[in-house]
Amino acid sequence: LSRRTADAVVIGAGILGAATAYELADAGRRVVVLERHVPNREGSGTTAGNLHIQAIHTRRPGQPIPADSRRFLPLQLAASRLWSDLEARLDADLELRRGGGFMVAETPEQVQELTDKNKMEAEFDLSTEVLDGDQARAELPLLSNTVLAASWCDLDGYANPLLVTPAYLAAARRRGAAVHGFSPVTTIARDAGGWLVGTPQTTWHTPTVINTAGPWISQVAALAGIGLEMNPVAIQMHVTTRIRPVMRHLVQHIGEGLSVKQVSAGHVLIGGGWPAQRLDLVGRSAPSPRSVAGNLWRAARILPFLADLHLLRVWAGPLAATPDELPVIGEVPGAPGFFVAGGTYAFTLAPLWSVVLRGLIAGREPGVRIDDLGPDRLCGRPVTGGHPEERQG
Amino acid sequence: VRGTEIKIFVDGAEVSAVDGQSLAGALHSTGRRVLRRNLVTGEPRAPFCGMGVCFECEVLVDGVASRACMVHVRPGMAVTTRSAVQRPVVAPSTEGSLAEDPYGPTLHCDVAVVGGGPAGLYAALRLAGSGARVVLLEEAEALGGQYFKRRQGQVLATYGEHRPEGGDLIAAVRAAGVHCRPGNAVWGAEPDGRTLLTYDRSGRTRSVTARAILVATGAYERSLPFPGWQLPGVVTPGYALHLATCDRVPVGRRAIVAGSGPFLLPVSCALLEVGVDVVAVAELHRPYAPSLAGLRTMRHPARLREFLTYRAYLARHRVPLLQGCRVGSASGAGALEWVRLARARDGGVVERDFEVDTLAVGYGFRPAVELAGLLGVECVAGPGGDLVPRTDGAGRTSTGHVYVAGEAAGIAGVHAARARAEVAAAAIAADLGLPGAGPASVASRRRARRHERFAALTTRLYPVPDSLVTGVPDATLICRCEGVTAGQIRAAAGTGLQDRNGVKGVTRAGMGPCQGRECAPAVAALTDPASPAVDPTPFSGRMPIKPVPMRVALGALADTLSPDSSLVDGDWS
Repeated sequence: LSRRTADAVVIGAGILGAATAYELADAGRRVVVLERHVPNREGSGTTAGNLHIQAIHTRRPGQPIPADSRRFLPLQLAASRLWSDLEARLDADLELRRGGGFMVAETPEQVQELTDKNKMEAEFDLSTEVLDGDQARAELPLLSNTVLAASWCDLDGYANPLLVTPAYLAAARRRGAAVHGFSPVTTIARDAGGWLVGTPQTTWHTPTVINTAGPWISQVAALAGIGLEMNPVAIQMHVTTRIRPVMRHLVQHIGEGLSVKQVSAGHVLIGGGWPAQRLDLVGRSAPSPRSVAGNLWRAARILPFLADLHLLRVWAGPLAATPDELPVIGEVPGAPGFFVAGGTYAFTLAPLWSVVLRGLIAGREPGVRIDDLGPDRLCGRPVTGGHPEERQG
Repeated sequence: VRGTEIKIFVDGAEVSAVDGQSLAGALHSTGRRVLRRNLVTGEPRAPFCGMGVCFECEVLVDGVASRACMVHVRPGMAVTTRSAVQRPVVAPSTEGSLAEDPYGPTLHCDVAVVGGGPAGLYAALRLAGSGARVVLLEEAEALGGQYFKRRQGQVLATYGEHRPEGGDLIAAVRAAGVHCRPGNAVWGAEPDGRTLLTYDRSGRTRSVTARAILVATGAYERSLPFPGWQLPGVVTPGYALHLATCDRVPVGRRAIVAGSGPFLLPVSCALLEVGVDVVAVAELHRPYAPSLAGLRTMRHPARLREFLTYRAYLARHRVPLLQGCRVGSASGAGALEWVRLARARDGGVVERDFEVDTLAVGYGFRPAVELAGLLGVECVAGPGGDLVPRTDGAGRTSTGHVYVAGEAAGIAGVHAARARAEVAAAAIAADLGLPGAGPASVASRRRARRHERFAALTTRLYPVPDSLVTGVPDATLICRCEGVTAGQIRAAAGTGLQDRNGVKGVTRAGMGPCQGRECAPAVAALTDPASPAVDPTPFSGRMPIKPVPMRVALGALADTLSPDSSLVDGDWS
């Protein structure tokens, strides 16, 4: 068992871990990323790849507490600016595309919601437009006649989630970061001037630990004796066989769980946060047939051409949700140097959260307001969810 | 072929076909080999596997994307190759909600047997005899599987049964009261693991809930990548055999049959019978040279007699049987023209080029374990490295109510499939407490053991070394669907951060319509030395087991949508 030092240890090589490793390495820090399996395998690699810039749909199917879309909006806008030059910064093709996005309404109540949403977006200087059904269909003739109105935002987009995390990691490595796959963290202990983070191979001494373990955030925190309450769930995605390019937009629904877009390879990706059978934190979560039917039906109702394609694959992945459906980012109170980042919409927000962490670790003020998003609100619960056998290391 | 020819329409042109032929065979007999272009590389592609695995023969049949090898010709059938269909967008209905049971109606039974090949048929017959209510589900339009694949229509009327015992067996199964559902594919399962989701060609969904499920999904051919294997004219031996026996269509004029395994010999004989000039049979190993292992075949006189019959037939037609011979490459402008065979001799390698229009190449078979995987059955690496379900010897698996028999339980041939089916049927009857339950006969258990020994011997005589894959040049296409090369896979694996699933993610290898069935083992072989797999499953047993029409996945909810709302299906133009 060797003992080594690092300026920062990032736990979990999903998009948040990879992006944070990149930013810290870019700032000249010696960064180590510890990944229990392989990078980008869980939530970050199974997500839809949407860049959500217009205010979000607030309730995925089965979600008990709606998300606070007003609270998310400034974060989305800050992230949007960072996505714009990400391909140049990482020197990589991410299949990044801003084709714009529709959020559709099918009932008068939903139309009213779109109008209210539009007013809120204006407050944050986000330019969106509410089109009536015919105007929306003029823009995207594939939309069905059931669409009464659609909110349009030309900043909505897509980046390939299978490319973004690997690109962040590659750029981090070029800046000297060490990325270790197959390296589960089994111990975390306080030590003079920082933390000892142990894997079966190595113990790392570091002043800074960044917990970006997604659905395992609670378990990793528990290793450090920190009780942190998360509420991870498993959701599923659907993809059709390839067709020629027919749409460049992201299509979402204001009242129901739905997101549809055609990706660069020609497949149409259909999601909307529909629940998988159950969250499996050991193996792979299995998709639910009920959710297949429910999600695809909504997709085919809004975009009828989908009904005549073929369904190629369905997969499920974890979503590191919090009990209050807000992101979590910041230093754990009473645990100096121990940072956490997670929550929903992490794909869209990853460029932002990595820059915020870079600033926090350097002792700078974050450029966006995050004082209400810290882990303190999730702390104070008894330490649960850790693996006692793993804690012995 | 005698009898009235039927007319079908191909890209608008009227074309003659023979009733009973598969659409792939009918198109092949008119010289239409190339049915589509690959969407990534733009290369012309032609039917490859002939058994519904590779999706290289996907065309539009009456506007529905269909595999030409899986449907029989019907008068007036309208076939569209390579192009997109444009139809007007019609407003959908807004009625409907999330139905309680979108994939119904549900049929309840004692045993659902999945797969209408030898194992499924023998097991269904035995189970029905024990008093079970049995539903037999088969993806193809006719029962029989690959081994008992029957001629149909006028081909049958003209040439008779190819394997009469298959027709007799199917008749016996029907007579025993088994509820047979050919043309019904299983594409998923409910979370209870007992309810199978099925659909038929018209897109109608039904589900089958069973007290026990017998997975008899058989096998598909083991294809290995080499430079040029995607060229039209390169096919699996199984597809060449299907064309010769069931469609009575010669796969080409001049052919080489290559790869490894005893299957190459009957395929070569069948090609000769329909007039194909078989230039050579090229076997990777030297199983027919005197050896200790070869001597063991003496213990299986029936198999030995079969082998000698084939060899005599090949000798009569002066077909050279080249042993120790590997396919180096295939080449040609848009279609196969040259095959390069390589043979080790005197410490070096001697290469020789053959001018042929057909290369039938395969390396034995792989168990089809996707359904077993979907139902949570634990699989382990079997002989030859392919995943096989772990069983107790009587077909019981790690999932209590799921059983497996036939090739899906490990490659062992049709005789073993029958013996295993009988043993598994006895196990199911006993476990369900069926009225006619009784232990499997000593004879059938002994037969099963003898066939397992023969299968083990075959595996030893025809091993498939990883070096066949790991040695291919970087430019070799590995994933036919997504156009991913060996070099791209090696680069992704070389980062040391990806296992085979990660390599799939960054290269797209295995993400096409065949869902990795053709390339996943090759991706694993190229990846794992650099980064051992976290999850050894080459591709997940997930729904949909094969790509399904969206209306199938929508289930009952599809009825609430307008019936004709399509824009595109199949290809892009």
